[in-house]
Amino acid sequence: MHLHQRRGLSRARLWGVGVLAASALALSGCAAASGTPSASNSAPLKIGISLSLTGDFSSSGKAAQRGYQLWADVANKSGGVLGRKVELDIVDDASSPDQVVTNYTNLITQTKVDIVFGPFSSLLTVPASRVASRYGYSFIEPAGGGPSVFDQKLNNLFFVQPAESTRGGDVFANYILSLPADQRPKTAAYAKLDDPFSAPIADSIQKRFEAAGIKTVYNQTYPSETADMTPIVAGIAAAKPDVVVGGTQEGDAFAQIKAMIQLKFNPKWLYEANGSNSPGDFPAAVSSANTEGVFGSIDWYADSTVSGSAKFISDYIAKFGGDANQIDPTSAEAYSAGMLLQEVATKTGKVDNATIIKTLHSGSWPTLVGTLSWDATGKPKGEYLLVQWVNGKLQTVYPAKTAQTSPVAPKPNWAG
Amino acid sequence: MHALIQAIILGILTGGVYALMASGQTLIFGIMKVVNLAQGAFVVLAAYLTYTLFVQFGVDPFASVLITTPLMFLVGMGLQWALLRPLHSDDVAQLSLLVTFALELGVEGILSFTYSTTLTNIQPSYANFSWTVFGFQVSLVRFFAFVLSLVVLAVLYLVLKRTKFGRAVRATVQNPMSAQLLGVNAQRVSALGFGLGAATAASAGSVFGMLNAFNPGSHYDLISRLLTVVVLGGLGSIGGSVVAALVMGVASSVVSAEASPIWSDFTFFIVLLLVLLLRPRGLFGARTRGAL
Amino acid sequence: MKALLARIGVVRAVVFFGVLIVIPLVTGQIGWVTNTLIFTIMYAALASSWNLVGGYAGYPSLGHAAFFGLGAYSIAIIFNGSVYGGYLPFVVLPLVAIGAALISLPIGWVAMRTRADVFAIVTITVLFIAQTLAFNFNTVTGGAQGKSVAPAPFDVSTYNWPFYYVMLALLAVAMGISLYFRKTKIGLSLATVRADEEKAHGVGVRVTAVKLIAFAVSCGLVAMVGGVWAYYVGFVYPQFAVDPLITIGMVLMTFLGGRGTLWGPVLGAFILVPAQEFFAFTFGASELYLFAYAAVFLVIMLFLPRGILPSISDRLRKKRAAANGILRDASDAASAVSAQPAAHQTGVTR
Repeated sequence: MHLHQRRGLSRARLWGVGVLAASALALSGCAAASGTPSASNSAPLKIGISLSLTGDFSSSGKAAQRGYQLWADVANKSGGVLGRKVELDIVDDASSPDQVVTNYTNLITQTKVDIVFGPFSSLLTVPASRVASRYGYSFIEPAGGGPSVFDQKLNNLFFVQPAESTRGGDVFANYILSLPADQRPKTAAYAKLDDPFSAPIADSIQKRFEAAGIKTVYNQTYPSETADMTPIVAGIAAAKPDVVVGGTQEGDAFAQIKAMIQLKFNPKWLYEANGSNSPGDFPAAVSSANTEGVFGSIDWYADSTVSGSAKFISDYIAKFGGDANQIDPTSAEAYSAGMLLQEVATKTGKVDNATIIKTLHSGSWPTLVGTLSWDATGKPKGEYLLVQWVNGKLQTVYPAKTAQTSPVAPKPNWAG
Repeated sequence: MHALIQAIILGILTGGVYALMASGQTLIFGIMKVVNLAQGAFVVLAAYLTYTLFVQFGVDPFASVLITTPLMFLVGMGLQWALLRPLHSDDVAQLSLLVTFALELGVEGILSFTYSTTLTNIQPSYANFSWTVFGFQVSLVRFFAFVLSLVVLAVLYLVLKRTKFGRAVRATVQNPMSAQLLGVNAQRVSALGFGLGAATAASAGSVFGMLNAFNPGSHYDLISRLLTVVVLGGLGSIGGSVVAALVMGVASSVVSAEASPIWSDFTFFIVLLLVLLLRPRGLFGARTRGAL
Repeated sequence: MKALLARIGVVRAVVFFGVLIVIPLVTGQIGWVTNTLIFTIMYAALASSWNLVGGYAGYPSLGHAAFFGLGAYSIAIIFNGSVYGGYLPFVVLPLVAIGAALISLPIGWVAMRTRADVFAIVTITVLFIAQTLAFNFNTVTGGAQGKSVAPAPFDVSTYNWPFYYVMLALLAVAMGISLYFRKTKIGLSLATVRADEEKAHGVGVRVTAVKLIAFAVSCGLVAMVGGVWAYYVGFVYPQFAVDPLITIGMVLMTFLGGRGTLWGPVLGAFILVPAQEFFAFTFGASELYLFAYAAVFLVIMLFLPRGILPSISDRLRKKRAAANGILRDASDAASAVSAQPAAHQTGVTR
């Protein structure tokens, strides 16, 4: 869900073709593949990926790279995929659409990789997925979940997150509408960043709220270069809404909250689509005392109880250092893309593109970001998790079956 | 009405900081006839310097102006000496435009390499403090940023009016040929002028880092706004750019509060085109070659 | 002598286009070769178009990406649902060009009242206006969601061919117009505008008309290239289609090869695109590539301020002049005019 997307993102349009060969060790097998190391083919399994290692998506691009590499290492330690050693061929697209087309064309027709995984961001996923589709490649992608991706109606595409990214906030609407009618908010304000992932999240919540009779008292869309949120927040404060919904990326979410603190405006519920779900950056940006009670949504988090998550975290820390809270969910999403490939191979005993496409279209598949299944266009059918800052810690609060604690409302006052 | 006045207050306070950045840019143009596209990158560079001073050494962002400003003054002089002075005299205008663009890219490259491309922000303890004056919110950082801008602008004004260097600058702006005949060393004035321009960017950058989240690419937004300010104010006119910056600050703040933020910058570009249609020299462009 | 030089020019053009026409036939199904060449030829065509106004007339437009985006959005909006057999998007390109040229006329008329620095600023403003419009009129443009072009139904083995040959044809058209400008009064008028606009006006050159013709033709060409790009990449988005770096690419390549020359912009593109690949390859994993790019930029400005071709032809001319006395052909005349020190502009002349 961390989708940094700023103005000028394509400024790094420089035909990047930095090739990073991921080295890996092939050890003798265990797990399911061990008994039958697919005698027919023992050549390495080459997987091509273009990532934004430079340019505006680069911090998330690098997080995805760590996830992919970690998966390849782990897979190779247990004998690879069907006995084939996994080799990653990761190239840089410098956050440019021209380069992403070039990279996938090169990976498929020049390097002749066996499989391709997706790049970072919806904007690059659209051109990339077309190249893959043209050559009959499956396209498991962890980061392109905007409507334009699914509008293409490609059958080779599988988005590795719980739901399309525009519905990231529906879980907040579910929570609010689950409250008894007399405890629900009466009025709502919406501040939306005009980009493919942010405004639509708030739009979706707004539609649900309005249908349930929660009155819209303020609704504003702002461009991504807006640095100063004070005028918008002043407008919101003047409208005195019970709930504020921010369709945000990180920077503007922080700016909104800082402006609310400055203007001493404290709504009863506050949801931000991105930013507040970052365990490290958010307290650093608004100071940890001011995080209390803010909502966000997320697909993977450090305390996730999903099977495999604990092992993922310990492997991650062993390889890259740091602590669990610093792991970007993007890494878990990329890792999950690899898990899917491994699961298909285990189930069918094959790793060719036609098999992957056919197999993933039926059944449901456990990953770090939940158990996934897709419709015909690659749109996942699950939902995100609602998180809230409670007692200085980011905790899951809804849906109840996966919640670590129950939601706190109304929101405590700002510390100042 | 309340929202409108609040927006105007905000616009003036923000406009002040832009006035500071723009004054340096218009000064550089006045002296050298160079549109400095790197001005935005200088601001971002100073913001990162301030950030490092604050996070690593605990230097207060306002106090760090005393460090970043002289430092950027020297950097500016060095850059002028290394990159702009050697340009051939034919087509200087186009070449220097592109050289400063390359400079802008280079600064962005170094910053993305040194820091990350994630947005950062300078957060001193008083970052979120604000006063309520007659029911209107005035944030402490914004207020002092405005005051700081006024102080630096006043110093700049005194330097230009009262010193020998200032007289040389004004002579060069009005007529470079006769200034040289009168014994003004044009290269020295250019170097000092470019340094001063960078220095104003530095002092504005320190506060910019507190007011906005920024990353190495933030200079694109800055430069597009600064260019409209300096053209609107009349290239080379410091007074004009101060007025234009305040007009722009208020206009964009009012449009975002009353209409929608997605049109706020747009309104400004349209105003710029209209003004140029009627007065190709900008609002305050003088008939002679630039005026300070 | 003149005839000989003309023949050399024809041979050069035949060889250049001949090789490029044959390459896809030889490389067959290898998609990456044609893919890389499509982007290279695209920039060569863009730079050649920019050169008409930025090189010949000396008006450094930074807003051409707005017209690239206009063309890209036209194709994306018309062919969002279906591409009707696949070739129609190419067929409508001339209409896109005419539309873009008509839109560019009033813009050019306002912008060209200013000169040099202010002109650059005004045109970059046009670029930001175009970007804002693309974002804000989201019912038409898809706004921040972007807009996709329906996938082309071409066979996978020759999928790139139509895009490749159309891009090549656009390059040929741009170079043809460039040549036409040089051979006719238009080029001479533009050269005088570039050297000293007021004097040109004084001696009876129809300054405004000739500037506007160059601007409109240039913008129309760029819009067609944008249209092909949108169809090829399949997706337009305000910051991808209206991107300052597209303008900068055109400017840089023209400056490198030589402003106001026929082959300069093409040479610049064919050098710079591979050079960028090299830098991205060498420094790809770090952010240093941006710095390396800036460094190349600075080296060009400082050591080759007039570009490669004019520097070479200067040297050749000196050699020949030493050997045979004075020699002049059309290109030398043009570069001689452009070599005159431009009047020191304050940024504005009427």
